[in-house]
Amino acid sequence: MIEILSASALATVQDLGRIGALQWGVGTSGAMDPLALAAGNLLLGNDEGAAAIEVPVFPFDVRFTGDCAFALTGADCAARLDGTPLLPWWTHRARAGQTLQLGLPQPGHWRASRAYLCVAGGIDVPEVLGSRSTQLRGAFGGHEGRALRQGDRLGTVALGHEQVATGFGLVPPALALPLQVDGVAAMRVLPAAEYALFTDTSQQVFWREEWKITAQSDRYGYRLAGTPLEPKAAIEMRSHGIVPGVIQVPSGGQPIVQMRDAQPSGGYPKIGTVIEADLWRLGQAPIGSRIRFIETSWEEAVAALEQSRRWLAEARRLVNLQRG
Amino acid sequence: MQIDQVEQLSQWLVATDIAVLELRGPGVQIRLRHDGARVEQIEEVAPAAVETMSAQVPRLVAAASSVGVFLHSHPLNDAPLARPGASVRAGQALGLLQIGALLLPVTATKDATVIGALVADGEAVGFGTPLVELEPLDEAL
Repeated sequence: MIEILSASALATVQDLGRIGALQWGVGTSGAMDPLALAAGNLLLGNDEGAAAIEVPVFPFDVRFTGDCAFALTGADCAARLDGTPLLPWWTHRARAGQTLQLGLPQPGHWRASRAYLCVAGGIDVPEVLGSRSTQLRGAFGGHEGRALRQGDRLGTVALGHEQVATGFGLVPPALALPLQVDGVAAMRVLPAAEYALFTDTSQQVFWREEWKITAQSDRYGYRLAGTPLEPKAAIEMRSHGIVPGVIQVPSGGQPIVQMRDAQPSGGYPKIGTVIEADLWRLGQAPIGSRIRFIETSWEEAVAALEQSRRWLAEARRLVNLQRG
Repeated sequence: MQIDQVEQLSQWLVATDIAVLELRGPGVQIRLRHDGARVEQIEEVAPAAVETMSAQVPRLVAAASSVGVFLHSHPLNDAPLARPGASVRAGQALGLLQIGALLLPVTATKDATVIGALVADGEAVGFGTPLVELEPLDEAL
């Protein structure tokens, strides 16, 4: 059991997402950094899609009300357990009554913004439409369909076995699979349906310039700031289906990247789509930081997803050897 | 080290493919060379080493529990896990061993003061390689 001590956290229960629910108009939700969630789970021997707590605002404190094995992944938040420093991307053991404190994300070799607290067995909240992720817009899923509050108590799924090995970690995939352009975090993007309707200059600007992640960025979408993107002529469109990663350009010319809590339809022209394999990079990019887009192809996008899967498979193999 | 122990080691060495055996302990250091036919002792204990080893305070070494790459700090930052002079608790990580994507801790077996790392950051090490030298707290008092 975990009790939330922080007053207003914006932390939510998330798994890998409510995949397959777009047909009912239900957004995907799920971890903004699915690679970190999966890594934390495999460190504990959980299913990769077990539910965990996604923490975007710090400090964030919880108390363990029972003995518990847990893993911390995502942003390195200088975590402490009853004051003792904990390694990031690592499995730890807590005793009943101990307090876990997550501090501010550390400016280290990877600037990240979200931490994941995974527990052995996973967070036990009811599955809705096949997922434990919090659907904030629809106010269902996760813990009572909302962000966690002070005093909330979360249970863990009972383990089929006794003890979970702890005391080891993983090299974060941000270091193993880095992607930067001119020292700036980058994401690969597929040109989308309305790409050709933007001026040649805007097309070049889109790839060549940096985009700042504005303060109006959250789990729903990231509003970017940069040189305005202009269509050759005004574009009028009916609403159509969209998915996380779609980069829309409203009339002001400042792009919006749809994220995990995006609504499933929209009517703005789409200049591109951040590929699925790189959404975690964007999900971790802090507000105020700058990013670059790299033009990619369908084949490269599929290969990138395969590369992430290979990293996870290799991590799982090594962790299982260690767990014995 | 007793002469008969050296002879016993030599006999064992003859039965192996090991070319050089180096053994270090408190106040003793021995190197044996095995050329395939016979074993000979190739180096006497260095006087300076004797002085260090026979210092009054017994020293403790944290060794590699696996083959891997020894890291002084976590890959996400540059802060060494064990600075010389720092007090560490039993079980605390003094460094890390990286095996592919996996990280294992190099831990202190008892409460101690860090003397220093014995292997450079990023160096590949074998099982049992001494990695960090420590001075146990209880015995230092």
